[in-house]
Amino acid sequence: MDPSTYQALVESRRSFLLKTGGGLGATALSTLLNPGLIGSAMGSEMQSYGGLPDLPHFPGKAKRIIYLFMSGGPSHIDLFDYKPIQRKLHGTELPDSVRQGQRLTGMSSGQKSFPCVAPMFEFAKYGKHQTWVNKDLLPHTAGIVDKITIIKSLHTEAVNHDPAITYINTGAQQQGKPSMGAWLSYGLGTMNQNMPGYIVMISRGRGQLQALYDRLWGSGFLPSKHQGVKLRSAGEPVLYLKNPEGFDRAARRVQLDSLKELNGLHHDRFADPEIQARISQYEMAYRMQAEVPGLMDISGEPDHIKESYGPQLDQPGSFARNCLLARRMAEKGVRYIQLFHRGWDQHGSLPSKIRQQCEDIDQPAAALINDLDQRGMLEDTLVVFGGEFGRTIYSQGKLTKDNHGRDHHGRCFTMWMAGAGVKRGFEYGKTDDHSYNIVENPVHIRDLNATILDRLGIDHTKLTFKYQGLDQRLTGVEEAHVVKDILA
Amino acid sequence: MKAFFALPLLIAPLSAATIDFNRDVRPILSDTCFKCHGPGENKGDLRLDDREDALDAGVLSPGDVAKSEVVRRLISTDPDEIMPPPEANKVLTPEQIETLKNWIAEGAKYDDHWSFVPPVADDKIQSPDHFIDEALTKVGLEPMPEADRRTLIRRVTLDLTGLPPTPGEVEAFVADSSPEAYEKLVNRLLASPAYGERMALAWMDAARYGDTSVMHADGPRDMWPWRDWVIKAYNDNMPFDQFTVEQIAGDLLPDATVSQKVASGFNRNHATSDEGGAFPEELRVEYVADRVQTTANVWMGLTMECAQCHDHKYDPISMKEYYQFFAYFNNTTDPGMQTRNGNQSPVVEVPDEAREQRLAELHQAMEAAKQKAESHRAGVAQSPAYLAWLQEESEKARKAPADRQPDGLTHWFPMAGSEKEFQEGVSGATVAKEKGNFETSMREGDQALKLNGKTSYKVEAPVAIEFDRPFTLAAWVKPSGKASGAILSKMDDQAAYRGFDLWMEGGRIGTHIIHQWESNALKVVSRPALKPEVWQHVVLTYDGQRKAAGVKIYLDGKEVPHDVQADSLGATIATSQPLRLGARSTGSGWTGELDEVRLYDRALTRGEVSAVAGGDPVTAILARADDQRSKSDREVLVTRYLGTGDKVYKGLLAEQEKLTQQTAALQKKPVTSMIMQDNPPNKMRQTYILDRGAYDSPKKDEVIQPGVPAALPPLPEDAPPNRLGLARWLVQPDHPLTARVAVNRYWMMLFGDGLVKTVGDFGSQGTPPSHPNLLDWLARDFVKSGWDVKGMMKKLVMTKAYRRSSRIESLHREKDAENKLLARAPRFRLQGEFIRDQALAVSGLLNREIGGPGVKPYQPANIWNEVSLNGGLRYRQDSGDKLYRRSMYTYWKRSAPMPNMLIFDAPSREKCVIQRQRTNTPLQALVTLNDPQFLEAARALAQRLLKSDRSGSAARIDLCYQLAVSRPATEREREILTRLLDKNLAAFRENPEDAAKFLAVGKSPRDETLDPAEHAAWMVVAQTVLNLDESLTRN
Repeated sequence: MDPSTYQALVESRRSFLLKTGGGLGATALSTLLNPGLIGSAMGSEMQSYGGLPDLPHFPGKAKRIIYLFMSGGPSHIDLFDYKPIQRKLHGTELPDSVRQGQRLTGMSSGQKSFPCVAPMFEFAKYGKHQTWVNKDLLPHTAGIVDKITIIKSLHTEAVNHDPAITYINTGAQQQGKPSMGAWLSYGLGTMNQNMPGYIVMISRGRGQLQALYDRLWGSGFLPSKHQGVKLRSAGEPVLYLKNPEGFDRAARRVQLDSLKELNGLHHDRFADPEIQARISQYEMAYRMQAEVPGLMDISGEPDHIKESYGPQLDQPGSFARNCLLARRMAEKGVRYIQLFHRGWDQHGSLPSKIRQQCEDIDQPAAALINDLDQRGMLEDTLVVFGGEFGRTIYSQGKLTKDNHGRDHHGRCFTMWMAGAGVKRGFEYGKTDDHSYNIVENPVHIRDLNATILDRLGIDHTKLTFKYQGLDQRLTGVEEAHVVKDILA
Repeated sequence: MKAFFALPLLIAPLSAATIDFNRDVRPILSDTCFKCHGPGENKGDLRLDDREDALDAGVLSPGDVAKSEVVRRLISTDPDEIMPPPEANKVLTPEQIETLKNWIAEGAKYDDHWSFVPPVADDKIQSPDHFIDEALTKVGLEPMPEADRRTLIRRVTLDLTGLPPTPGEVEAFVADSSPEAYEKLVNRLLASPAYGERMALAWMDAARYGDTSVMHADGPRDMWPWRDWVIKAYNDNMPFDQFTVEQIAGDLLPDATVSQKVASGFNRNHATSDEGGAFPEELRVEYVADRVQTTANVWMGLTMECAQCHDHKYDPISMKEYYQFFAYFNNTTDPGMQTRNGNQSPVVEVPDEAREQRLAELHQAMEAAKQKAESHRAGVAQSPAYLAWLQEESEKARKAPADRQPDGLTHWFPMAGSEKEFQEGVSGATVAKEKGNFETSMREGDQALKLNGKTSYKVEAPVAIEFDRPFTLAAWVKPSGKASGAILSKMDDQAAYRGFDLWMEGGRIGTHIIHQWESNALKVVSRPALKPEVWQHVVLTYDGQRKAAGVKIYLDGKEVPHDVQADSLGATIATSQPLRLGARSTGSGWTGELDEVRLYDRALTRGEVSAVAGGDPVTAILARADDQRSKSDREVLVTRYLGTGDKVYKGLLAEQEKLTQQTAALQKKPVTSMIMQDNPPNKMRQTYILDRGAYDSPKKDEVIQPGVPAALPPLPEDAPPNRLGLARWLVQPDHPLTARVAVNRYWMMLFGDGLVKTVGDFGSQGTPPSHPNLLDWLARDFVKSGWDVKGMMKKLVMTKAYRRSSRIESLHREKDAENKLLARAPRFRLQGEFIRDQALAVSGLLNREIGGPGVKPYQPANIWNEVSLNGGLRYRQDSGDKLYRRSMYTYWKRSAPMPNMLIFDAPSREKCVIQRQRTNTPLQALVTLNDPQFLEAARALAQRLLKSDRSGSAARIDLCYQLAVSRPATEREREILTRLLDKNLAAFRENPEDAAKFLAVGKSPRDETLDPAEHAAWMVVAQTVLNLDESLTRN
C-alpha cells in the first residue's frame, strides 16, 4: 500500500470517530479508549485493530505465530538430516562432485582437507513415518514428530551470520528492510491493544554467541510502531513499563486523568484528532502496564504443565521459560511471538556444544507443541523452528575420534513447522548422501516466508508498502512460492 | 468496511480542470504499467513511457478514446486481456481510468518527467507565499490568520534549533511590537549554534551516521569529527555546493585540508563488516553499492539502486549507467574487510588541542630526560673507570681470533636479558613492550625473541634512515608457517604508511619504503619464500638511489631474486613513529622468532653480508683500533659498559620509560576520522557491469568508465573522471535535481512534509509536487543565492504560510484533509531528540557543550549484551554532565540503538533515511512517563519551580507552562493541576518514604533543603506538563 494512502486511511478513521461522536463528545472518546467498540459500531467482524482493510486476503488457518529461532546455524546433519550411509562416509574426503566448486567461508576455505563427519550421536526412527531424529539429543522432539512437518530442503545464498540472519528475518541480506513480524503488524494489526502485537524474547545458549541486531525485529521503512517489542527476563518485562518507585498505579491513574483533561482542553483549541489519538495511547500504555506483568507470572500454571517444560523453566530468561511465556502471550492475542535462542555456531567442539544447546531447547520446544495441542491452539497457531543456515558435512578444523567442528552451510538445512494446517507427521525435501545438496523439493527461505504469510491468510505478493518507488514486500522481487505440499 | 475506506473520499482537492501529464497521468502509468512497459522492459514490444513508442505500437489514438487499445485493455473483463494483468496486483480505480480517458481525449500529450527538466521560475515573484495563496484562491479556501506570538516563537525556535525558547525570550518577543520583531527573532535563531546542531541531526539520518560498524560485531568507530564538521558547516553557513563537493570529494580537492578530508567521510559512514567467513570482495561491492544508493538518493532523490541488477523499471537509468555511477566510488583504497576495532584506514588524524598540549609537555620532559641520560653517558665515557675497562677489554679482544664486522652499525637488537633489561645495543635505549606478552626462545643457545602476531615492541631511538640514503637491515628470523607482517618497522599506517619496514608476506621477505602508499613508494619482495620454522638469516640492502633496482635481498648469505611491487619513491619517509619490532603502527603483526636485528647506515657489500650473520659486534669493535672506531662504535662500547652495572643510568632509563608509557597511552588513540581515498591512476580498479548485481559475476568484456545518466545534463567538459567531477556536476546550476531535492528537504523540516511528499524519490514513482512552480522557484532562488542554506531557511520561515495558526477548521479539513494547500500551519509531534532535549532544557539540566565523542546517558540494563557478539558487551553509562548532552550526541550503536529514541521513530541509521516516520504509540507514553531521564528532568524542573522567585501554586504552574509550552497556564489548567498537586502532596505527606523513592531517580543532586513531599508533588505536576500533547508537539 502507498504510505500516503495508509496515512489517509488512519486519518479518515480518526475523522470518522470524531464525526460519530459529534466532535469531542463522550461517545467518541470512549470509543477511542475502548477500541473493541469500533468493530461493533461499524458492523465488522474483524477482531483486529489497525491493519490494512483488505487483509487477510483469504481466511487464514493461523491466528498467530510462534517462531523458535535458533541463532547461529544449527547443524541439520546432527539433528534431523541423517543418513546411515554417512557412517561409511565418515573420514573420507568431500568429493568435488558434491562440493561443485561452491564457495566456502573464509574460515575453512584454507583447509587442505575436508573430511566428512558422520554425527557422533545415535539416531533412531520415530513416528508413523519412521523419521530419523537424533536419539541422544532430541528425545522429546522425537516424541512430537507425528505433530510436525520437517523440511530438510531449506536453502539460502548467505553463508555468514549477519547477512543470513538478516535475510531470513527480513527478506534481504542488507539492512533496512522490515522484519516479518513488522510486516504482520502492519498488515494484520493487533488482536489485543493492551499488548504489543509483536513480541521478541531472547535466551542464551552456552556456545559461541553470535550477535543479534535490532533490525531482526525492526520495522525498517514501515512505521516504527510495528517494530517488535522485547520481552525481558530481568528488570522490567517491557522497557519503561514500570511506574517509578514511590509512585503507584493509583497515583498514575490520578495523573493520567489530569493529563487527559488538560489534553482535552488543548484539543478544544486546535481541533486536531491527533490529540485524541495521543490520549488513547496513554490509556493503552496504562492498560499494558497491568496486562504484561500478569502474563509474566507463571506461578498459576498447573504443576504438570510446568514440569513438561523441563527443569530450566525455573530460570527466568531460559528458553524453557520463554516457551511457556510464548504460549501465554499467544493466548492473550499477541500475533507474532519470536524466540531467539543463541549459541548454535559450532565451528569447533560440536559434539559437546550441540549437546548443551539441545539440553536447552529439546524439552521446552516439544512441550510447547503438546501444550498448544492439548488446548486446541495448535489448530490456529503456527510454530516454526530453525536457524539461519545449516552446517557442513566436512569437519572444520581437525577431525578426531570424538571431536570436530562444522562450518556454515547454506545449500541445505532443516527446519520444522507445526500447527495451523501444516501436515502432522510429515517430511519434506531431500538432500544427497552428504546432506550437502538438495535433490528433491528445494524450499528457499523466501518460500518459507511466503508459506508463513499464507497460513495467516496473506498473499505474499499483495502485502506491499511503497518505499523508494517500489512496492516492497517481505519476499522481495524474486519469485517465491507457498509450499503447498506441506499443507494438510 | 471497504466501502468506508474507499479512496474517492480521500482524494486531495487539487485536481484541476485540464489534465497535466506529470501530475495526473504519469503517476498512474508509472505505478501500473511501467514495470512491464517502461524504461526497463517492453513486454509485447510496448513502451508506455515514450509517446512515439506508444503511438508506433498503435495502442494510443490521441483524441479518440474508443479506438485506443490501452483503454480497451483497462476496462476489459477478459482475464487474458485485462491490463494490468491480475498477477500484477494492481487495480486501477474508476477515477484513474477516467483520468486516462480524459488524457487521451485531450490528445494524449506527454511531458518529460518533471524532475529531469531544469526548473524555470519567474524572477519577479518575491515570496513563496505567492504560490501558496494562488492555489488557495483557486479552491476558494481562506487561510488561517497568523499564529499567536507565543505559539510562533516556540514553533520557529524548535524548528530552527530543536530547543524550546526560554520564558525570557518568549516575553521579549511578545513585548517587541516592532515590525521587524519576527525577523530579528529568526536572525537570532539562525545565528545560534543550536541551529547547526539541528540541521546536522537531519543530515545524520541521511548520511547514515553512527558510532559503530553495523554488521556482525558492530564494533566501535570514530566518525564524530565528521559529524562535528557538519555542525560547523551549517553554523558557518557553508554554501550547499561547497558542502556537497567536500563531502563527496573533499579528499580529491587540490591540497585538501584535514577538514576537507574529514568531510569526505560522508561516504565512510556506511555499514562495514569483518565477519570471519566473509568474502572481502562481496563486502567491498556492497559498500560501493551503498555509496551509490545514498549519494543518488540524498542529492538527487533517485532510487538508483534499482538498476544494480537490471535496467531501472521506472526511471531512465540503465544498468550500464548505474555502473558508470558506481565507477566513481569503486576506486577507493578502503578494503572489503573493515575492522571492528576502531577506524579502518584510510583515515586522517584530527587535531585535538588538549591532547596536543599534553603531548607537547611530555615531549619536553622526555627531551630533558634524554639530555640527562646523554650527559651521564658523556661523563661516563670520559671517566677513568670506563677508560680502564675499555683498555682491558680491547686488549682481550685483540688477542682473540679476528671477528671482522662491517662498520656503520646504527641499531642493534641482541635480544638479550629479561624484559626489563631489553635494550637496543647501540644507544642503550629501552626496548619497550607495546602490546602482548614478553616471550623468548633460543637460537643456537642464544636467547631470541618470540612474537605471536599480537606482540610488539618499540624503541625511541633516533633513526636516520631516509629515502635518499643507503641502509641495510639484517636479522635472524624463524617464521611461523607462511607468516605475513612486519618484522621491523618505522611506519605510520595512518599517514598513508609513511616509513619503512622489513616485511614478510606469504613467507616471502621484503621491504616497504614509503612516502605515500602507493603513489610514492617502493616495495620489493623476495621471490623465494623462507622456510617455515627454520632459522634463516636475511639481509636487505638499499643504495639510497630511490629505485627498486637499488635493493638487494640476501638469504643465508646468498642474493635471491625479488619482485618489484612499487617503484615510485621520491620523497621523505620520515615519521614520528618509533622503531618497532613485530608490527607496524596499527597492526600487521608478525608471527615467528627473531634475533640479532641490525641496522647499518650503508648498503653492505656482498662480501660483508655473511659476516653480520654471526659474531659479536662488541668484540669486533673492541678489537678495532681506536682510530678505526666510528661514533656509533663508541656508543656501542659505552652501552656495553653501562650495562655492566651503572645504577644511575638505569634510573635515568627508567624515567624515560615512564614518560614513554605516558606518551604511548595518549598516543594510543589519536583522534582520527575515516575518509575517502582513491587509488592512484596507475592502480585504478576497473569497473565492470556485475551480472544481476552479483559481485562475482563481472562482465569483463567491457570496462565501464565513470559517467552520469544520459537523461541528466552532461558532465562539464573539464570534469575529472573521479568523484570530484561527479560532485561538481551535481552542483552545476542547471542540474535539475540537486537544488529541488535540497529545498524540498528544508521544506519538510519546517512544514512536516515535502512539497514532493516522497522526499527520497523524485523519479517516476514518486509523488509529483503539490506546488510545482513553488518548488521550481525555490530551487532557482537557492542556486541564484549561491546555495545559501541559512538564507533559504529564513525565506521559508518568513512566509505567511509558515506563520499561520495550526488550528484545524472543519472547512479546511473537509476540503483539504491532508492540508496540502497549507491553509493552516501543520502541527506535528516533535522528533524524539527534541522531546528529550526539551525536557532537559526546561529542567535546567541540559549541557550545551557542542561536538566530541558520543556520550552514554541512561539506558536500561542489558540492551547491549543481550544481543552482542559473545554476549559480553556492556553499556558503560557515563557520569556527570555527559548524562545531559543533547540527544544527537548519544552514542549510536546501530545494532542496538538507544531504545527511548527508537521508540520515537529514530532510524537505526544502518542505511540512509531521508524521512522519518512519525508514529504515536503507547510505548512512547511509557518513555516520557517512566524513563529515568525524563523522571529526573521532571524532578529538576520541579526543583526549578520551587526555587524560582514565584510563590504560590498558580504562579509556579504558570512558570512550568511558560518553560514547557511558552505560555502561562489558563485558569482551568491551573485548577486541574492544583488539584493534582494537592492530591499528591497529601499522599506524599502521608507516605514520606514514597516521596523519597520517587525523588531518588537520576544522578544529579537534589536540593535537600526542599521539603521532599512538596518536591515530589511538584515533580508529578512537572511530569504531567512535560507529557502534555502541547509539549510533545510543535504547534
